[in-house]
Amino acid sequence: MREYLLKRIIVSIFILWVVVTLNFVIFQVVSPVSPEDTYLPLDLDIPPEVRDMMRELYGLNDPLHIRYIKYLRNMFTFDFGISFQSRTPVVVEMSRRLPATVLLLGSSMVATILVGTPIGILAASKRGSKTDIATIGAGLFTWGVPVFYIQLLFMLFFSYYFLKIFGVQLFPVRGIYSIPPPGNPIAFMVDVAWHIALPVITLVVGGFGSWALYTRNILLDALTQDYIVTARAKGLTERTVLYRHAFRSTLPPIVTIIALSIPGIITGAMITEWIFTLPGIGRWYLDALNGPDYPVLQAVLFMYAILTIFCNLIADLLYGILDPRIRVGVRR
Amino acid sequence: MASVFSADARKILLRRISEFWFEFRSKRIGLAGLALMLMYAGVAIFAPYLTPYNPMSQPRLAQAIAMPEWITVFPQFQEYGRTQRNTLNWQIVAGSDYIKNWGTTVDIQYAADNPELVQVALKSHFAYEQLAPNEFYTKFRYEVTNLTDVEYSMTLVLTPPDANGSWVFFKSPTLSAARSQDVTADSKDPLFIKLLGYDLQTNVGNIIFAQRGNYTFTMYLNLRALSGNAEAHILFKEAQIVLLGRVHGILGTDYLAKDIWSHIVWGSRISLIVGLLAAIVGTAIGIFVGVVSGYLGGMTDEVLMRTVDILLCLPLLPLLLALVHLYGRNVYYIVLFIAIFGWQGLARVIRSQTLSIRETPYIESARASGGSGFYIMRRHIVPNIIPVAFASMILAVPGAILFEAALSFLGFGDPRVVTWGMMLQHAFGFGGFSQLAWWWILPPGLAIIGLCLSFVFVGHAFDEIVNPRLRRRR
Repeated sequence: MREYLLKRIIVSIFILWVVVTLNFVIFQVVSPVSPEDTYLPLDLDIPPEVRDMMRELYGLNDPLHIRYIKYLRNMFTFDFGISFQSRTPVVVEMSRRLPATVLLLGSSMVATILVGTPIGILAASKRGSKTDIATIGAGLFTWGVPVFYIQLLFMLFFSYYFLKIFGVQLFPVRGIYSIPPPGNPIAFMVDVAWHIALPVITLVVGGFGSWALYTRNILLDALTQDYIVTARAKGLTERTVLYRHAFRSTLPPIVTIIALSIPGIITGAMITEWIFTLPGIGRWYLDALNGPDYPVLQAVLFMYAILTIFCNLIADLLYGILDPRIRVGVRR
Repeated sequence: MASVFSADARKILLRRISEFWFEFRSKRIGLAGLALMLMYAGVAIFAPYLTPYNPMSQPRLAQAIAMPEWITVFPQFQEYGRTQRNTLNWQIVAGSDYIKNWGTTVDIQYAADNPELVQVALKSHFAYEQLAPNEFYTKFRYEVTNLTDVEYSMTLVLTPPDANGSWVFFKSPTLSAARSQDVTADSKDPLFIKLLGYDLQTNVGNIIFAQRGNYTFTMYLNLRALSGNAEAHILFKEAQIVLLGRVHGILGTDYLAKDIWSHIVWGSRISLIVGLLAAIVGTAIGIFVGVVSGYLGGMTDEVLMRTVDILLCLPLLPLLLALVHLYGRNVYYIVLFIAIFGWQGLARVIRSQTLSIRETPYIESARASGGSGFYIMRRHIVPNIIPVAFASMILAVPGAILFEAALSFLGFGDPRVVTWGMMLQHAFGFGGFSQLAWWWILPPGLAIIGLCLSFVFVGHAFDEIVNPRLRRRR
């Protein structure tokens, strides 16, 4: 087990190195934007001698391989430089923006799993029924419907039209808290919950279908196994067969898919943050693109890569731990 | 393809296709998807015949964010008018001595023997019988030539049907030089609103055209001869008043008063091109990598599969946004980027299939009879994986379409073409929501959903046929 762990970690670090190198190549080598502009804001009118000084200071006059090594060092020590737009260190700003993203994603993921899994189990236990067909339909639907469009529609109907017809702001359309924020901590939490309610609901509506379909398919796979036939032959109730025997064996792939879907969800939440003007990482990245704010872009891409690689690693390891059949490297 | 397949192989292929069609026919969802897909293809192909407007260059067709025309069947919108364009036809009121020609083009030839002041006046009527428009504009052109010792000024005045009061639409300073000018008085122009004497927030269209009946434009031209041999030649033409409609066309207009239906129709081309091209290129890469990796094995396999791992670890959307931002918002770059990052899953599936095919006896005998690796891959392996690859390609199309829509929605689409994602971006960013412009927000999204679902349905039906795992136990 330890050997496998070590091997996986080394491979992960290798992949991270490749991604950072790719980052370097994209932004510093083959980029149509000259490298010094990725350090200096484009709109800044700097005298040539100061520009030269800054080139020297940032090491842009060094040969490429020295710059590459410095770039690696900066990235891996989380020294991302100063944001062009806010003029604060990127790391500081990142820590300020993280809570909104974590809150949004954490609550929407938990809600999606809580809604989707039972529906998937229900569909699998009644294969061919109307529930099952509806679940397949909902799953296919998520394939063809952009989540951002669901969000736009919900916003249109439950915020704008609701306000027009009933005169009440049912859901706010922007921000993560009211301005000014309520002083009372409990009132503040309620206010935040009110603000992220619509983003979370729309993410669940857009995501529960595929989740339910996935659970259903895995469970159906499990239900066709021989040990289920054995369990039924023993005279166990259908309930026991479903939950004790079939569902338990679906846990490894489900946990794995949770870990594997986290990065996709996080990058996907970018659009959610954009639509609802939530001050999270995704919105920050999009604002940085429009800047352009190169230190922020490189930092966020790096963090996204770390996250993806980490989640892949966790998924691999969890799979090994949860599924005794593939407990890697362990002799029994 | 003819060189790849021998006559026998072609026969087998044809038989397989007809068998496949036999099975596909029984899948209702697949047939529905196919019908929908053909409908979209038809719209894309016949786009120029489905809409008279070019999506990229359109005159001002109606007011900004005008409702669809058919909304007037509902009683509360019954009075909403369409765009009304009136060419002004001038008649003489005063100064007939100098007017050589009148009608839509007025030709004034003025000459004087001694200093004097003369006023030439023209008028033109037009009828307006609809609910007051929110926007309107007036245009005309004057050309002053052959000018000697004449000072002139002109004033355009509108009188409402009840002749109670009037509005000055245009007033030139006193000029003494020859010049030509196109004059536009636009209800959106702050200077014009100021000239009319209203507050900038005022909807002047609602005030001026509140009455129904015959409106009258009067043009006063003051000519002052400064010496004994004064003369001037004045042409006054192309005058029109356009009262922009509150309703327009099949789906109304957007914030720039562009026809939404034409954008929907032409947008289908871009979506289909992006989806199909990205899926085809991505599938080709996936087949190539999967087959080579699976058949050759060893070091090649290891390198290719680690590349797949790395590509799967890249944060796709942010990276694509950065690439599009750096290399330019070009629709073909977007296709290429989507394709480059969209083949990894397929490559893994193809590789595992190749691995099992590789061990079959007929491959062994092909190898024993001296077939080269490339020959075996092309001749024996690729034909076997084509059904799976094809199903996967069809299922990759909606992904690519949605991705392009998301890019466009975030403002990273190609600005030279109209896409559905971009329409949503505009609706979101330029007041479609606060104005509750459902005719602007709903169509692009529904178009995306319909197109994607058609591919999902067909792909799902395909997958059920070619993928034995999904067949039900009977």
